[in-house]
Amino acid sequence: MILINCPYCGERDQSEFSNGGEAHVARPENSENLNDKDWGQYVFYRDNPKGIFYERWVHSHGCRKWFNAVRNTSTDEILAIYKLNENPPSKESFINTLKTPSGEPKVGSGNFTVKK
Amino acid sequence: MSAADNKNSYYITDKEVSFKFDGKKYIGYEGDTIASALLRNNVRLVARSFKYHRPRGIYTCGIEEPNGIVQILNEHNEPNTRATVKQIYEGIRVSSQNRWPSLNLDIGSINNLLSPMFSAGFYYKTFMGPKGFWKRIYEPIIRRTAGLGKPPKEFRSKSIHQNHNVDIVIIGGGLSGLITARKLINTQYDVLLLEQDSFLGGILKNSKKIKKISNKEPNEWINETEKLIKDSKNIKILKNSLVTSYNFANHLIALEDKSVGKKIDNNKSELTLHKIRTTHTILANGHIERFISFRNNDLPGVMLAASFEKYIHRYGVVPETSPVIFTNNSTTDSLLKSLIDLGHKPAAYVDSRNKDKIGRKLLNYLEKNNIPFYINAEVEGCDGNKKIKTISIKKSNKIIKVKSSMLCISGGINPDIHLFTQSKGLVKWDDKLVTFKPDVSFQNTITLGSVSGNFNYEKTVEEINNKLSFLKTKNIKSNIELNDINNFNIKELWETKHEKKSNWSKSFIDLHNDVTTKDLKQAVKEGFDRIEHLKRFTTNSMGTDQGKISSINSLGIVSKILKKKISEVGTTTYRPPYAPLSFSAIAGRNTFEFYDPQRKTPIHNWHIENKAVFEDVGQWKRPWYFKKFEMESMHLAVQRESEQTRKTAGILDGSTLGKIEIKGKDALEFMNLMYTNAFTKMKPMSSRYALMLGEDGMIKDDGIVCKLNDKHFIVTTTSGGAPKVLADMEEYLQTEWPNLQVYVNSITEQFSTFNISGPKSRDIVSKVFTDVDFSNENFPFMTFKVFDYMDTEVRIMRASFTGELGYEIYITPNKALELWKKIFHFGKAYDLVPYGTETMHLLRAEKGYVVIGQETDGTVTPLDLNFNWMIGKKKKDFIGKRSLTRSDTSREDRKQLVGIIPLDKSEFIEEGQHVVECDRLPKRITAPVEYLGHVSSSYHSPNLNHCIAMAMIKGGNKLMGRKLFVSSTYGTKNIPVEVVSPVFIDPENKRLVS
Ligand SMILES: [Zn+2]
Repeated sequence: MILINCPYCGERDQSEFSNGGEAHVARPENSENLNDKDWGQYVFYRDNPKGIFYERWVHSHGCRKWFNAVRNTSTDEILAIYKLNENPPSKESFINTLKTPSGEPKVGSGNFTVKK
Repeated sequence: MSAADNKNSYYITDKEVSFKFDGKKYIGYEGDTIASALLRNNVRLVARSFKYHRPRGIYTCGIEEPNGIVQILNEHNEPNTRATVKQIYEGIRVSSQNRWPSLNLDIGSINNLLSPMFSAGFYYKTFMGPKGFWKRIYEPIIRRTAGLGKPPKEFRSKSIHQNHNVDIVIIGGGLSGLITARKLINTQYDVLLLEQDSFLGGILKNSKKIKKISNKEPNEWINETEKLIKDSKNIKILKNSLVTSYNFANHLIALEDKSVGKKIDNNKSELTLHKIRTTHTILANGHIERFISFRNNDLPGVMLAASFEKYIHRYGVVPETSPVIFTNNSTTDSLLKSLIDLGHKPAAYVDSRNKDKIGRKLLNYLEKNNIPFYINAEVEGCDGNKKIKTISIKKSNKIIKVKSSMLCISGGINPDIHLFTQSKGLVKWDDKLVTFKPDVSFQNTITLGSVSGNFNYEKTVEEINNKLSFLKTKNIKSNIELNDINNFNIKELWETKHEKKSNWSKSFIDLHNDVTTKDLKQAVKEGFDRIEHLKRFTTNSMGTDQGKISSINSLGIVSKILKKKISEVGTTTYRPPYAPLSFSAIAGRNTFEFYDPQRKTPIHNWHIENKAVFEDVGQWKRPWYFKKFEMESMHLAVQRESEQTRKTAGILDGSTLGKIEIKGKDALEFMNLMYTNAFTKMKPMSSRYALMLGEDGMIKDDGIVCKLNDKHFIVTTTSGGAPKVLADMEEYLQTEWPNLQVYVNSITEQFSTFNISGPKSRDIVSKVFTDVDFSNENFPFMTFKVFDYMDTEVRIMRASFTGELGYEIYITPNKALELWKKIFHFGKAYDLVPYGTETMHLLRAEKGYVVIGQETDGTVTPLDLNFNWMIGKKKKDFIGKRSLTRSDTSREDRKQLVGIIPLDKSEFIEEGQHVVECDRLPKRITAPVEYLGHVSSSYHSPNLNHCIAMAMIKGGNKLMGRKLFVSSTYGTKNIPVEVVSPVFIDPENKRLVS
């Protein structure tokens, strides 16, 4: 279980929060002008990368506030947390310090315990 | 040749304790484990093995035990308890497991002779067919003969949970752990020291390897250290606390056993589950000795050498005064010395190393003490019936037989890397130590002492000072003096060669799960050459001991078969828990009524008094139906309630209904966006049935929206949907429309709600609320009034979920029961009947009203339910609007809502059945049967006196009046039905607006 630093309440247990999926996917304003494919892209498609992921969280059993987080999906490390009205930190700022569990490759699967 | 006492042990007192094992009484000492007490009494046979039912004895002296697993009869029949860990107390009753009828005479041991059948992958290959055999024949037999103990008879909650937030956790209170703790005494760090045993000291108490620390006897040094820690302000010790999990974010789980050596007290918690968050984790959890595979290496009497030594020093019992020692490394030197110092003489010393590796010092020692020794030699196997009699030693291809009842073996030692790899640290192979040791930490993890691969105790202080130099502490100065003859050295040896003597002869790699070295070879031959596959196929190291003494050995053997390096073979993944922990430990106090809160309405006790049968709706307890008399069946009760409601009046406790208040400058705009309906032209103090969609256009929830004015709305939701609807509103307000000034708040529990309906409901409410004009002109359908009543504010809405004239009454919960009783006082003259959720469903189905979650399942749009009239088409936007014109949602052959009635009015249609076009199903289904949809609701209508059903069927709107069929649970004949409008009663809404 990871710790999440709510920007309004401070560090709390993951069980107090709910994940809201990929961040920075704005709801299209003039949806009537979108074709089925583009609208479908908004409704049904989200990224699911291994590594750096910008996502939304809500402190559902706390202050009920939504905020954004950058998480390394292969280690569950929270790399940054920022409010909805703040600019997201750049991807480059994490890339050098990014870890993978047990040194497994950054893409693809595998769960090694022995150092090669 | 038998056991003897060692009066100079560390832990054992001379207080006698009597206990029972398999019904027989024995005497042990206070502090004994079940295992040490049994060894003291020369009991060697303690268990039957998992698959072959072979006789087994105590193999180790701790958590790693694969054989000595027992059931504690007087502790609610607790199964799978390690005899090597569980301490005895006066009156404890222990029984062996997996044997029938008794340990000595076990019928299942026939499996051993049939063992060619039971080789690797046996279960996967054998019990394949014929159909039905698994459930009726194979499983019952396997369950009786295989497996572990019997489950406890009843579940009991026996643990509490405790949270910790610290700077440093030290796992292990042995040599390295204690030195580290001394280094941290009275520093700025908050420290937690976790020790799995009931005392500190680890290796210092398990052996005599260390002579002196800082010129003090080990015991004196331990006591001094413990006192220093206790006097310090920053270090806390938790004994009997085993760390089972090392999770992400330095989150550790430790299980503390609070009833060690004590009879359990049913009124107290026995266990504490510690949930620990720490900045740094120091692993000082030591090492575990591993075994060697040879012929019959499972016979009672074979024991790990270091465990034998532990019994001598820790528990004061020498399990056998003249055992044979078989080793490939130097850690057994101290056992040899301990035996001789106590005046005992090993029957033989067998070492696979050559004389250079063994060293002159040890050879001299053996010669001087007249011990028969064999170097460059191996144990080929051992023989005996339920106990070792002879041990065959192989040297230069000659077999020498030695008589002894015990054989102490050591195949080397492994750093206990389980927790380190759980933390996602990487290990690497060390050719010199012939084992895996930690290499790179993934988290803030530091390994110290033998877990880090430092098997040289003299270097411990130096290692600690180096690795902890990043902390703001002073260096420790401490001198460690050894008793050992040699520094650690080892020669790789996993398995000795043996001649097959009989089917009975086996060389085991996993004692717990009865996996032999032959099974490994066969599995590799069959293509399972990846270690993770091999593990699952053979079940190697999958027992409750997780192969702690043997998993590295299996890697060694497999690497030899594959002609690869062990580092290339790799380890399997170590997963929590480190040792088994019971579900009740995890559950803590969240059991029974504390598992999930129960929500009750203010009328709950009245419902009980009036024979309500309850139904769980989410966490709510809702009356399902009311029994008029004790023997009344549900069917009769529901028919009676429904009939009476349509005849005069019925009342439903709807307090569980979700209620949300929406307030703010932009409330109207927000409501127009959230719901499909248009609210702009809606008059204040009126209400409307409304739908909420997802962005995919599917119905998510429904409810009634009350508009007080443009800035103030109150909405109801389904009983189960309230939290989600509120959360969705919050989400859109915060993330999509932060410009809207709107506040949403749950008021579900601030108002109790009653639904009174039926032709006489107006008469009744008029008598209760005498100041209110309930006439049709002044109080039309879908309007509401707010007024003062009983010193509080009451809101009454004219609405209906039954199709009858009806009112929904809202009142503060603390006045609710009083009002409810008042309504019954005046309702009596009209035969007012209380009804529950089942009647509610029946009445709404008669009227063709849908239930979200019953007719809908997340794939249904408003168009599919013919709810076009509820969609504010002129609105520019609302959630899900664009999706209603997607090519998929505008298909004409989507499943649509229809009513269905059986052609033969005496027949009944069941919910969930398929609607099809054929009059019967084929006897044998060979190809998929074309089906149109399913029956979503079905009831026997007391008011129409036949079955009415709703169904979602493909292109349903165009099938009105068609004859179709519905499958049934009886046979292949289908029920002929007619597709009709889903509104069965009062399609003109005359009753509703009367
Ligand atoms: Zn918060």
